[in-house]
Amino acid sequence: MPEKNLNSLGLFLKSIPLTAVAGLILIPVNGYATQLHSSLEGITTHQVGHLFFLFSMVVLIFTITGKGLDKQKGWRLIQYSAFFFILWNLDAIAAHFFDNQIHAVKMEIISLGEMRIITNNGSSMLAMSYYVLKMDHLLCVPAMLFLYRGLSNLVEDQKKIIARKDLT
Amino acid sequence: MTASFIPILAVDAFGSVSMVVIALLTLYKARILRDMDPDNAVFLYLLWISVGFTIFSVSRSFGHILRQFLILTSNAGTWYAISPYSGSVNTVSFMLVGLITLFFNQIWNINEKILTGRKKLEDTHVKLMDLNQTLEHKVIERTERLTSSEHKCRRIFEQSLDTIIVTDSEFMVLETNPAGIELTGFTRDEMVMGKMTVGSFFADASDWERIRNKIVSKEYILNEEAEFLKPDNESLLVLITGGVDYGAFGCAKSHHFIIKNVNEKRQMERQIAQADKLAALGELSAGVAHEINNPLGIILGYTQLLLKQEPEHKEDLKIIEKHVKNCKTVVSDLLSFSRKGTFELTVVDINKVVDGVVKFLSNHSDFRNIEMSLNPYTGDRLNILGNEQELAQVMVNLVINACHAVDGKGHIDIITRKAENDMILVLVKDNGKGIKKKNLPRIFDPFFTTKPVGQGTGLGLSVGYGIIKRHHGDIKVKSTEGKGTVFTISLPSDKSKA
Repeated sequence: MPEKNLNSLGLFLKSIPLTAVAGLILIPVNGYATQLHSSLEGITTHQVGHLFFLFSMVVLIFTITGKGLDKQKGWRLIQYSAFFFILWNLDAIAAHFFDNQIHAVKMEIISLGEMRIITNNGSSMLAMSYYVLKMDHLLCVPAMLFLYRGLSNLVEDQKKIIARKDLT
Repeated sequence: MTASFIPILAVDAFGSVSMVVIALLTLYKARILRDMDPDNAVFLYLLWISVGFTIFSVSRSFGHILRQFLILTSNAGTWYAISPYSGSVNTVSFMLVGLITLFFNQIWNINEKILTGRKKLEDTHVKLMDLNQTLEHKVIERTERLTSSEHKCRRIFEQSLDTIIVTDSEFMVLETNPAGIELTGFTRDEMVMGKMTVGSFFADASDWERIRNKIVSKEYILNEEAEFLKPDNESLLVLITGGVDYGAFGCAKSHHFIIKNVNEKRQMERQIAQADKLAALGELSAGVAHEINNPLGIILGYTQLLLKQEPEHKEDLKIIEKHVKNCKTVVSDLLSFSRKGTFELTVVDINKVVDGVVKFLSNHSDFRNIEMSLNPYTGDRLNILGNEQELAQVMVNLVINACHAVDGKGHIDIITRKAENDMILVLVKDNGKGIKKKNLPRIFDPFFTTKPVGQGTGLGLSVGYGIIKRHHGDIKVKSTEGKGTVFTISLPSDKSKA
């Protein structure tokens, strides 16, 4: 068999798994031979992701305190950032729980200036809470801001250290 | 419940934009931080976190803005088609941030180790620099001290008036100073390139053997006296001190010698001792001679009176007369030695005296096989103030002694010359058997002789010594056993120019 034909066959065999993965992502169809993934799986994964993010932020806060880094302003600000991210995660988890998981709340946009929040049990309290929870940027923006400020402080501290070293 | 959508829209829109802007600013700060110390693992970690947050913020904000835009533009269907992808990217991004965050502790510990290691490295570096600098200073300081020490040693070596010789383990000369060149009479090249040994400077090989054995056994010698012989056959007395040097830093074993020229000092000491001894002997001889001379005169007088009366024992009396006269001659010689007695001074031409003696003796049968040469000074007349007969007697004694030394067959040289300090020198040289070293200090002693009993009284040189001293001169002898002897008479020249 000519060598050229052998190379072509090898290339074809190698491309089979790649083609299969691409097909699964781009043209999703029911794959009865494999496990069936329901639509709830997506939101559950997302919620687990939020919990994991929240957990990592808690760990970060305790690690910073444990190492005594909270005496430095920069690290203290990063701790604040982590705290706000925890709040944001709680906010997001709660919002997703009500609208995506148990479908207790539904939001309908009537016009640019008006919207309607429909609750299954007709609770105006839940509707009010959901309205507030939807403004989660009020938590994640301060969180990012504290992270930025924390890093800025660390940069300043490092500049001072370098200047001190240069002096000596 | 119906409510205003504007607050939610505004917070969402501004919040999304703010998130992207702040995330990018955070990334920028993290980058600066990392550039400040690229080796800091925590700063690298913060950069990763910032990248994670930026991805998170951008994906989230993009999703939120797009969602609002599509819903408000009645394209909700499109949004529902895109939202799974947007949600997935968003989920992955904050999970990524969470994952990176969990490694903070490990990263911190690694960084601590790196910093501790770096600190130790820096401390060690500083210490090494310090040590290196100290070492450099010490090297400079020691090099200076070494150079100074070498300079001092070199000056001592070069300027020393005593000879310094360094030899290898086989006593071959490796180095010598200018004093050594002057003392030995050999050049440095002759000594070093010619591989001369210290032993080759010695006049007597047995002296060197003795000293060599002593060095080998004791590893040092201290003030050993020996005689050196220069290439021009001039001999000189030296004091040798030396020792073994086993060398440092792997240098080979060597010997070093310090040699002091004591020739003049020893000769002076010997002359003084000789003069003192001869002066004492002279005093003794004079006393004895004086005491014996009078009785001898009486004995001779009475003997001669008896002989005039034609006695019965005439032959016996003549024997007495003969021996008394011999005794008187001895007494007279003793008086001459002790510089006592009458002394008439006239201006004498020494060349004339020497010439007379040579002519007189050359006819003698003992000088038949002897080649006698006279080398008189050819300049001015060599006048001295003295007694011609006595000086002739001294010359006769010396020449006869030389004749005996060459054993009737050899060469005798008689030389006259003028020395620098108004002194006139007369040298009597022979190539005879020489005088034994042990006899040299005694040859001017009265009655000292090496001749068989009855062949010499041992007064010849003593009388000669006395006569020369009476003329305010000096007589010296230099003799090498087996090679010959030189007697040197020095007499003050007459300044009157008569």
